[in-house]
Parts: sequence; C-alpha cells; structure tokens
Amino acid sequence: MTHSGNVNAPDEELAMHYAREFYGRRQESNRLWVVPRDAIAELDDPDLLKPPFDRSFKKPGGYIIKHKLEAAKARAVSEESG
Amino acid sequence: MPLTEPMPAPTYDPETRAALAELLLSLADDEFVIGFWDSEWTGIAPMLEEDVAASSIAQDEIGHARALYELLADLTGDEADRIAFGRAAGDYRHAALLNHARGDWAFTVARRFVYEHADAVRLEALARSSHEPLAGLATKMRREESYHLMHFDLWLRRLAESSGEARSRLEAALARCLPEARSVFTPLAGEARLVEAGILPEPLDALRIRWIERVTPLLSELGLPTPEAQAPEPDGRTRRTDEFRWLHSEFTMVAGSEEGALW
Repeated sequence: MTHSGNVNAPDEELAMHYAREFYGRRQESNRLWVVPRDAIAELDDPDLLKPPFDRSFKKPGGYIIKHKLEAAKARAVSEESG
Repeated sequence: MPLTEPMPAPTYDPETRAALAELLLSLADDEFVIGFWDSEWTGIAPMLEEDVAASSIAQDEIGHARALYELLADLTGDEADRIAFGRAAGDYRHAALLNHARGDWAFTVARRFVYEHADAVRLEALARSSHEPLAGLATKMRREESYHLMHFDLWLRRLAESSGEARSRLEAALARCLPEARSVFTPLAGEARLVEAGILPEPLDALRIRWIERVTPLLSELGLPTPEAQAPEPDGRTRRTDEFRWLHSEFTMVAGSEEGALW
C-alpha cells in the first residue's frame, strides 16, 4: 500500500471519482482507499519512531553471523575428529 | 494502429451495408462531437479535480469515436482520419442535441445526463448486435461509459439539491436538453433492414421509450421536469447550427492545414 496523494472533494462520492482520475486512470492502481483527512491518525513522535538505542539487529543486514558460523563449523569439525 | 481486433467483414447486400454504415457514422459522430465540446472544459472546469475528470471523460469519447470510425472504415474501405476530419460540416450525422456549445456547467451536466443514459440504452442493445465487431466494441465501450453515467448522475443530483443559482441554471438547461434528447433516437433510413438482420437488435423507437423509463425516476425524485413521449423530428441528425459550424472549423483546422498528411 502506497500513499498516492490527495484530492479536494466535497464528499466521499466525488472523492472516489477524483481519486480514480488522479491515481487510477493510467491503469497504475489495482485498488484505491480514500479516507477523509480528519480520519487520519498521525504518529510523529521521534522517540517512538527513531528510538535512540541501536536497533540494527531488527534489520536483515544488522546481525553479523559470519564469525559465529565459522566458530560453529570449527567446533563441529573438532567434535567429529575427536 | 487499429483499436479493435481485425475481423473478417461479413458480406452484406449493398442496402444492408449502407444502413450499417449510416448507423456506425451516427454513433461515431455523436461520440466525436460531444468529446470535442466537452474537451473545452480543460483548464476552466469548476475545480481542478473536475477539470481532470471532465477532460478525461471527453478523451474517452474521442477514443470511442476513433474505434467506431475504424469499424466504418473497414466496412467501406475508407480511412478513419478522413471520415473524422475530411467532411463538410453538413455531412456530420450527430444528434441535434449535440449541436450546441458546452454552455455553462449546468448545461454540460444536463446534456451529459440525458446523453449518457441514451448512449447506455443504445450500447446495451448493440452489445447484442449480430454484427460481431460492433457487438464487441459496444461491450468494451460500456465498461467505460458506466463511469460516465455515475459521474453525471452524481452531478445532476448535486446541482438539483443545491439552493439558488445552481438549481435554476440546471432547470433552464434541462428545459433545453430534454426535448432535444430524443434526436439521439432519430430513425435511420435503413433501420428496418438493420433490425431484420439483427444488426440493430431493437428499433430506435423502442430504445427511446426505454430511455424515458430510465431517466424519469431520478428526475422525478429531484422534482425536475421529465421527458415527454414525443417522437423525434425526421431531421434530428441532419439539422446543424452555427455553433456546430464553428466547432467544425476548429477541429478540422489542423487536418485541413496539410491535406492528406498522416498524423
């Protein structure tokens, strides 16, 4: 789901028609959701969205397992030979 | 590039072929002329959003006209561009309802409302045409026209339910458009033959009665005048106005500047 943009319209019915014209008439959309501006709840507190501590482990690239894998391999080999 | 799938043209006797050509020309000219009139809202519609919507609907109609002119060109061995831009103003066969300039927004809404419903009734019938290329095109056009219908039903209600100027302008516009709307169903010279061949599945007069049944409920609900059952005048597709002659000089200007050029 992507925010496509906004339209000015007096009510939901015309907003739908205009959304279709602005964001759907070039066959670029599969579905459109149209909501009135005052129905949008906003969250913009930086402490909640960008907390100060390291959160890199929540990303796929943030957790380096290369050394752990090497150690595990070495352990497996030594256990086999032992 | 043709917009429609090339299909082997069925062989008709000369009278049926001429009648079919007349039907296709009337359909194409209706869409072409209303498309050109309403394209004149580009840049000056009541609000930016409606400017885009009205222009896009006008473009749809030009697209439909193009596909219809191509069907006609296939039938008669002509060229779509030549038919669209190469005729004298008196040779166009659009309904007299479309002879007038776009007028104010209320006039455009009133004319669109009566025309879109007439077109919907007509396309529903043509989707069952025995002339397969036409049935296929009508089916395709209906998918776009259903939105046009929604859009102008919505605008009719909006203007009717507003107080003061919008409502009175709409009433004045309907007083002009309702009696002339019947021109869309003007009988064609070869109509009996088209009905017999199943090319036109129902006579235009039956479609006109259905159109009245279709527009009357919403107009009555809004306390607006409703159409009368009067039959169309015989010159409903031949009489022309100075307004149309002006439009004709506009839309043929570029094509006329270099005769025979390919665009």
